[in-house]
Amino acid sequence: MTQAITLRLITRQAGGGEIVRTRRIDSGEAMIGRAQGCDIYLPDLSVDPQHALMRVAGRNRVTIESLTGVAFQVDGKQTLRADLDAGRGQMASFGAFDLSVSEGAEDDIAVAVTRREEEHAPSPSLFSLKASLFGRRRMAWALGLTILALCLIVPLAGASLFRHLHIHPDQQWSTGPLSKAHAFLEKDCQSCHQAKFVAVRDQACLACHQAGRTPAQTLALNADLGRRGSPFIPRLISDHAGHDRLLKAMPPPPTLGGKVKGLFGKAFNHPNDRCASCHLEHTGPKGPVIEADRPIKPTLVVATTCGGCHGQLKSRLPSTGLIDTPDWKRHPDFRPLVTVSAEGPAPRIERIALTADPQEHSGLVFSHRQHLDPTGGVARMGVGLGAARGYGGALTCISCHRPTPGAGGFKPIEMERDCAACHALGFASAGGEIKLLPHGDAGKVMATLQAFYGGGSGAGAEPQRRLPGDFRPQSAAPRAANPAMASGAFRQAFSPGGTCYGCHRISWDGDGPMGVKVAKVHLASRFLPRGAFDHSVPAHKGDGLGAFNCVDCHKAKTSEHAEDLLLPGVAKCATCHGKTEHQTPAAASGQCADCHSYHKPGKATPTGQSRTFEAIFAPADGPARGIPGG
Amino acid sequence: MARSATVSQRRRSSTHESFLRHKGFLFLKVAVFVCVAAVAAYFFQHARPRPGGGTPLGYFLGTVGAGLIVWLALLGVRKRAVSSGHYSLKAWVSAHVYLGLSLIVIATLHTGFQFGWNVHTLAYGLMLLVIASGAIGVWAYVALPARLSENRGETTRKQMLAQIQSLDELIHEAAQGFPRDTAAIVRISLEQTDIGGGFWRRLFEDYRDCANLRALREIEAAQRTAGAHEAKALGEVAVLMRRKGDALGLARRQMHITALLEAWLFVHVPATFALLAALTVHIVSVFAYW
Ligand code: HEM
Ligand code: HEM
Repeated sequence: MTQAITLRLITRQAGGGEIVRTRRIDSGEAMIGRAQGCDIYLPDLSVDPQHALMRVAGRNRVTIESLTGVAFQVDGKQTLRADLDAGRGQMASFGAFDLSVSEGAEDDIAVAVTRREEEHAPSPSLFSLKASLFGRRRMAWALGLTILALCLIVPLAGASLFRHLHIHPDQQWSTGPLSKAHAFLEKDCQSCHQAKFVAVRDQACLACHQAGRTPAQTLALNADLGRRGSPFIPRLISDHAGHDRLLKAMPPPPTLGGKVKGLFGKAFNHPNDRCASCHLEHTGPKGPVIEADRPIKPTLVVATTCGGCHGQLKSRLPSTGLIDTPDWKRHPDFRPLVTVSAEGPAPRIERIALTADPQEHSGLVFSHRQHLDPTGGVARMGVGLGAARGYGGALTCISCHRPTPGAGGFKPIEMERDCAACHALGFASAGGEIKLLPHGDAGKVMATLQAFYGGGSGAGAEPQRRLPGDFRPQSAAPRAANPAMASGAFRQAFSPGGTCYGCHRISWDGDGPMGVKVAKVHLASRFLPRGAFDHSVPAHKGDGLGAFNCVDCHKAKTSEHAEDLLLPGVAKCATCHGKTEHQTPAAASGQCADCHSYHKPGKATPTGQSRTFEAIFAPADGPARGIPGG
Repeated sequence: MARSATVSQRRRSSTHESFLRHKGFLFLKVAVFVCVAAVAAYFFQHARPRPGGGTPLGYFLGTVGAGLIVWLALLGVRKRAVSSGHYSLKAWVSAHVYLGLSLIVIATLHTGFQFGWNVHTLAYGLMLLVIASGAIGVWAYVALPARLSENRGETTRKQMLAQIQSLDELIHEAAQGFPRDTAAIVRISLEQTDIGGGFWRRLFEDYRDCANLRALREIEAAQRTAGAHEAKALGEVAVLMRRKGDALGLARRQMHITALLEAWLFVHVPATFALLAALTVHIVSVFAYW
């Protein structure tokens, strides 16, 4: 006889507790389904109306078989047919219902039918957006930390790490494009920002802009910068006074903002005497197109004008030798470097105002008037020399003062080159060859004469009067030793009418041969080294203004004495500089920078031309940047 | 969650008008004064080479701006603090809104209108995003509560959900006699209907592919080919599904308005954190490379 099936239909109640209904099926077969008449009635739409049949298959065993070909679950697996062991207490599931099979109390098989708890009903919090998004806070933290990591930690810690990958995470910190001159450094923040939290220091700038290198070093640096993409070669920087003196000379900032900034700068290690205090980068393009509108060079913020310091320099820097100069209109007259005496171990040179009528004691005897006289002997001699030797008429200024090409000045006077065409040094001719006296050393003159005439000294030959250039070769000199002739020729050369006498001051109380003494000569190369008068500037030559002559400024035609200083006064400059076009067609600006510069002492402030020449060949006249000095 | 939602709803309805006019627009006046002073200082300063964050006024405005931002961000902390202390939350929110708006002037003058593709402008952009979302939030607080209660009528949100649930039960019951294929259609409505859905769905109230609607269309199609007896049973279920559709529509509209009311905060708060981070980067970086 088959075992009976006892169904226990369990319904959970809302308030807890359960209702159990029991039914006994003796036939050994039970229909499982959603249809009303089923033995095991499962009201669930996922169960078919007559879904499966349960049959007792042996002692404590039942078989469940799908009738519709739709599977059910046993122990979590889908199946169409299953044998269940009541002894082991197995379970089959249809939709939301679980059928668990176990041994009954009266030697029957117990089947408990329960409905699985449904998920909880949705709560009103479903209405809030929080139901649909992961948390605001999580999102917030994620975003914030990402930004901190990518924009702060990586650039701060990893700039050098990423450099060789050509990734520059610190570029995102750039507050604006660099000037054209420095644009090639734009990816290399640390070429200027060398130490973190330390304002850009001069050493970064001077890595390229340091003056005082050898020409070879300068060329190598320029080539290297060119390879790295620099469009220009660097301008070399000197200061026009020692760094400490410049600082002392500065007036305090005029505005409250400036004062406050200065205080903060001191407190936060952001000093205002750095290169970068005045030469600013990252100031942004002036227009909308970055490449086209970059400024050419760093933006210059002038901390103080020239007059700001020089207007009352003496009161802040008592040791200065300069005269207070607030502006061009109150520019003091020139105080050229005058050779007070050429004697002694070194010539004595002093700054003396032109108004004090200084005398230049170069040691020479010279009359500009005589040399420039168009009808005098000098002019006749010029005709005699002829055009082939560069003369051929009355002398002009450049007959002796020869311009240096490209540099706006003149070569120093050299006797052999500039004078000797007339002031010949020949003293004899032998075998068609003219014998010359050496220039510049009385001892060598004597030695040359003795070699020619034979040693010894004594009065002999007649002193012969000769004009400069008026060389009459002595008839074949007696080659027999005649010491008296050598000393006679020597005395003659240093006596009135002699070769040396016309230009040199000579006395006979010295320690030269025969007691001769020739005054020392010092020819100034530059009288006004603090300013820059450039003779090659077109306007200075009067180009387009009806050409100026040298003598318009230099009163050479009337100067009888070498002591005359032929420099024009500052008033001469002021006939053009500081005038309006209304006043003169040659009007030019009255800017200090026209003749002076901050970083290139002795030169006008550079305008952009002749950079190559300056950088390589022109030595710096001032102290190197940043160096304290007297 | 449920508690905080109802609490904020209650506060909203009692303060939405008044935090704007708190103490006779006190904070509006303060903010206007601050802006006028900043603009005046900007035009009277003698900034070289040009105005910007690096000038004395730039540093001053930057510091004021950063201080304001930190203080504004502290509203998040203040909201969570239960004690109402000396200053009411309403005063805080009023000051928050007006002084927050004044940042547009303060920070812009700080930058000297120098913008670029860098972290500094990132901070500035994030600030504008926070302010813009805040402005939307004010609009939401003023305009939306009325629309919420108008949509809801007398029904509470709990009742809306209960109604959908009981319709589900009715549909389930009505479909008991269905064969497997039509029962499967009914199960689509019962098991796959998502009342709310994701962020965008709620924000744009886009439920064209609602499961209940799909099931209804199929039931209607089956109805046309079914025999008379079967068609009647299908018809009953279809009626219930349409009622369920209406109930869903009401609840979803409520969710849509709620989403509008809350969405700005999902920008405002994360953008605030991002702003604080970017601002930190800004300040540290200008001093690291100054
Ligand atoms: C303590 C607070 C702040 C300090 C110390 C500060 C400092 C600075 C400095 C020094 C600059 C000039 C950078 C340069 O041109 O070299 C600057 C620029 C800037 N700041 Fe700030 N800032 C502060 C707060 C803010 C705030 C609150 C914002 C906006 C959210 C902001 C956004 C900017 C922007 C967009 C720039 C322009 C950057 C550029 O020139 O490209 N800053 N800030
Ligand atoms: C950069 C400026 C701002 C920052 C950093 C900021 C930050 C915050 C923070 C952190 C919260 C708290 C959010 C929460 O935790 O629930 C908040 C709330 C708020 N903000 Fe802002 N906010 C700024 C500007 C504004 C502006 C300009 C407005 C309006 C025009 C505004 C309107 C609001 C409103 C209405 C609240 C909600 C207050 C409440 O729920 O009682 N915010 N803000």
